[in-house]
Amino acid sequence: MRKEEETYLSGNLTAMIDVVFQLIIFFVCTVKMQDDSVDARIRLAMAPHGVALEKKNPLQVTIDVDNRGRILLGNSLVETGVLKAILRKAIADSHQAVPIIIRGDAKAPHKDIKRVMDACTEVGLWKLEFAAYKEKG
Amino acid sequence: MASRKRRGGSFTAGELNLTAMIDVAFQLLSFFIITSRPMDVLTNLDVSRPSPDAQQKDSQDQPMIRIAVFTDGYQINDKNVTWATLANLMAKLAEMSRTQTIVISSVADAPHESLIRVIDLCAQNGLKNVSVMSL
Repeated sequence: MRKEEETYLSGNLTAMIDVVFQLIIFFVCTVKMQDDSVDARIRLAMAPHGVALEKKNPLQVTIDVDNRGRILLGNSLVETGVLKAILRKAIADSHQAVPIIIRGDAKAPHKDIKRVMDACTEVGLWKLEFAAYKEKG
Repeated sequence: MASRKRRGGSFTAGELNLTAMIDVAFQLLSFFIITSRPMDVLTNLDVSRPSPDAQQKDSQDQPMIRIAVFTDGYQINDKNVTWATLANLMAKLAEMSRTQTIVISSVADAPHESLIRVIDLCAQNGLKNVSVMSL
């Protein structure tokens, strides 16, 4: 019995440790990438009393408004005309009202948020959601 | 090499020198603990846009609370109030009915933060019917 244990220990662990570290690094890197999908340039306002977000609706369209009032859709700058066209397409594709999340920077002037809201209203989306931080890490 | 040692019977468990690996592992561990920061918890605040016909219907059915957001303050039902007063009034009004309509309007230059703050106040008091209008 004792002899067997010693046989196991004498095995070369180097290869296994290499693989374990590779796996650790892989998972650490992929987790970080997931975090980066939230645009760090937009600093949301605080809303500590809101309901914590559980899961994303796959249909949802997230519209970002940065602190200079520019409208961003998936990291690219869009005009309201283009935004309306995209929203119309999204509604036509899903055959239902798509949930709209407006991620407005805390310092963005209301007039630019209004431009986004008006674009949504024009395509027939009355229900909107404003994203905010419940807790900031 | 290992098999030769086994045959000799002089192998000991401590032969594989783990010291360096453990050192590195602790370095990595402390690095990740220091650099990691807790995840932000996000929330989505539901609001609706008043449609022209719905607005008229609402105003007849039940009283609605109008809150205006300015760059330097707030107004509730056309009366200037400070943030503390607004919070007090909202808590009292919410006690009467949680289904009443809140119409929030904001001036063009007010930061988005002030609007979110008012919507958050509504959420705090359990008011669900929140509409956002622009002045």
